[in-house]
Amino acid sequence: MWWLKNVKIVDPESGSIQVKDVLLEGERILEIRDSLTKEEVQNKSQTGIQVIDGTGKYLFPGLIDVHTHLREPGQEEKEEIATGARAALKGGFTTILAMPNTKPVLDQRALIEFVCNQGERAGGANVYPIGAITKGQKGQELTEMVDLAAGGAKAFSDDGKEVQNAELLRLAMEYVKLTGLPLISHCEDENLARGGAMHKGVVSAKLGLRGIPSSAETVMVARDILLAEETGSKLHLAHISAKESVNLIRAAKQRGVDVTAEVNPHHLIFTDEAIAESKYNPSYKVNPPLRSAQDRQALLEGILDGTLDMLATDHAPHTWEEKMKPFAEVPFGIAGLETALAAIWTYLVQPGKLPVETLLRVWSLNPARRFKLPGGLVQSGQIADLVLFDPEQKEKIEPGWFISKAQNTPFLGQELQGFASMVWVSGQLRFQKAGEEKAWQELQ
Amino acid sequence: MKWNRKDVLHIENLTREEIELIIQTAKPMKEILFRPIKKLPTFRGKSVINLFYESSTRTRSSFETAAKVLGADTSSLAVAQSSMNKGETLYDTARTLQAMNPDLVVIRHASSGAAQFLAQTLKAGVINAGDGQHEHPTQALLDLFTMREHLADLTGKKVLIVGDVLHSRVARSNVYALTKMGAEVVLVGPPTLLPPEMRILGVKMSYQLDLELPGADVVMALRLQLERQQAGLFPSLREYSQLYGLNRERLEKTGKNTLVMHPGPMNRGVEISSEVANSPNAVIEEQVTNGVAIRMALMYLLMGGNSNVVA
Repeated sequence: MWWLKNVKIVDPESGSIQVKDVLLEGERILEIRDSLTKEEVQNKSQTGIQVIDGTGKYLFPGLIDVHTHLREPGQEEKEEIATGARAALKGGFTTILAMPNTKPVLDQRALIEFVCNQGERAGGANVYPIGAITKGQKGQELTEMVDLAAGGAKAFSDDGKEVQNAELLRLAMEYVKLTGLPLISHCEDENLARGGAMHKGVVSAKLGLRGIPSSAETVMVARDILLAEETGSKLHLAHISAKESVNLIRAAKQRGVDVTAEVNPHHLIFTDEAIAESKYNPSYKVNPPLRSAQDRQALLEGILDGTLDMLATDHAPHTWEEKMKPFAEVPFGIAGLETALAAIWTYLVQPGKLPVETLLRVWSLNPARRFKLPGGLVQSGQIADLVLFDPEQKEKIEPGWFISKAQNTPFLGQELQGFASMVWVSGQLRFQKAGEEKAWQELQ
Repeated sequence: MKWNRKDVLHIENLTREEIELIIQTAKPMKEILFRPIKKLPTFRGKSVINLFYESSTRTRSSFETAAKVLGADTSSLAVAQSSMNKGETLYDTARTLQAMNPDLVVIRHASSGAAQFLAQTLKAGVINAGDGQHEHPTQALLDLFTMREHLADLTGKKVLIVGDVLHSRVARSNVYALTKMGAEVVLVGPPTLLPPEMRILGVKMSYQLDLELPGADVVMALRLQLERQQAGLFPSLREYSQLYGLNRERLEKTGKNTLVMHPGPMNRGVEISSEVANSPNAVIEEQVTNGVAIRMALMYLLMGGNSNVVA
């Protein structure tokens, strides 16, 4: 049994913060009380009791990241399920969803089960796969969605690509109803985006880099919302980056369309100006691209007013040599699992732009509800997927610091604040911050 | 003023004083080109490497000539005959070059920012001979030098840059250079090749060449890449030429003895008629000569030349 003393617990609705004692027994939260005595705790447990003084720290529900690329099978030089799942713990995530654009694509039940099994072996965050919408992500024939769901898929997506054929996507939205799971749209028109390296705007014009217009995203957001509205299907929109998309989603929700949407931390923190200021630093190359300051503001407002439901990292690991090239030649993607929470804490929560309760809603509660995943709340009886979060902890992000195989992040070289000290998955302690092993005591 | 840059990568961050110094240095360099013996001992024992990832005849031979006149040893790596074709990255090529300890590396590359990338990796000085669709600083400097020879002060002079501005590193570098020298620049082209975001360059933009011609002191025609037609950026060479082709009738609309420039190579009959290209107004070959002089001047400044040797 774990006895977590004096931890700050945030109500995800009201935002009220209360200091409590929490008991974990087995895989669940047993009890939350204002305070407990040694005798009271001992009366509840026959086994050993581990005690932690959490004064000054938060007890967060484990974060849930619905958008990661773990690269296994096929591109283990970038990342493995094991390294990704352990990196996730360090970043405060207890559950992550793995996108199916691996080699081969996760389009058969055996591959879905492979990812589940590798996730269990890793002993990190819970790993659940997302199945492909079309075989080989070729956009031609639907996958066996029912079989994939039975094997453990939590959603369907051709992420990395968008199903360009609107009729096929409409049929996918109909067929996926057999599973009750959401479809995740990558929201990208291939013709509008083709050949681009960054947001199309004044900065791309100045840098002489081919631009990806906002319309490459927005025309697909509009199309997919209309298809979801017509079919009555569940739609989740990945990595929203453009202000026009936020308006489309807001209007769709007002009409009652069953749509949710996510935003990536880098789109809330940076703009396309970062590419000019950093003199073409390839760590800022990401798809969808970092857009303008107006887009960034609209995304933040979307998160605050509930138009955008979730934060998600879009953890996209690449090797050092792949990113060590001129900007136009490097692959898209930012590795985010280990730095995303600290980055959001440093850039948005600390300066007062994003309330803690909103952070926990969009990164834990809403993902849990939308994708029917365990976790999301710190309540007695809930699964003990928990993060002891130290808001004061500062770390310098350096090449040797990562658990992930990848370090393609614009935060490299920066100091960030706000990190997980300890992480439990199903009541089992799976992560402790380096240098603080055995930060707990056995109750004598 | 004193020169203290390791590299010449972009016109955007050069000061007006630095540009003046380069042009002043180019003047004696140009005289050397007309001497019977075109060879100086200035940089004997110095090495210049030309690294060309894109095919180029005039720019590469211009840099080579410039280095040789100054007495430096040159080697040229063209993509077809080097390990770059075997998949070596620019990063590893840079490290390999660094190990040979060159004094100067000239790079042309299809990726915007490639010269910057190389300069960050190399201890040697780097001259950008064109990076993607970003900048082509030596072209802008030689254009400026040529305009100065004919027009003296450029303050208030009207310069039209006509054509595929969107994809043109020549246009970007020239806008920066000309505005720093006080000229009034107008970018002219169809909306597909002159999208609204080009306003970031801070100069007037127009779709109507005929409306902009009156009063123009310089008209610079940009090379039209013919494959842009397949990409849907313009419907036909015929219509492009009708709207933006520089011919005698148009040139007369300036009402001035207008300079006609082109960075080459020309598509005669498309962006410029032969009649205009062959006319006394055209200074296209002078641009080539001045290109050698400008590149000599840059090498001279970057390799720490002593002005006594030139004089």
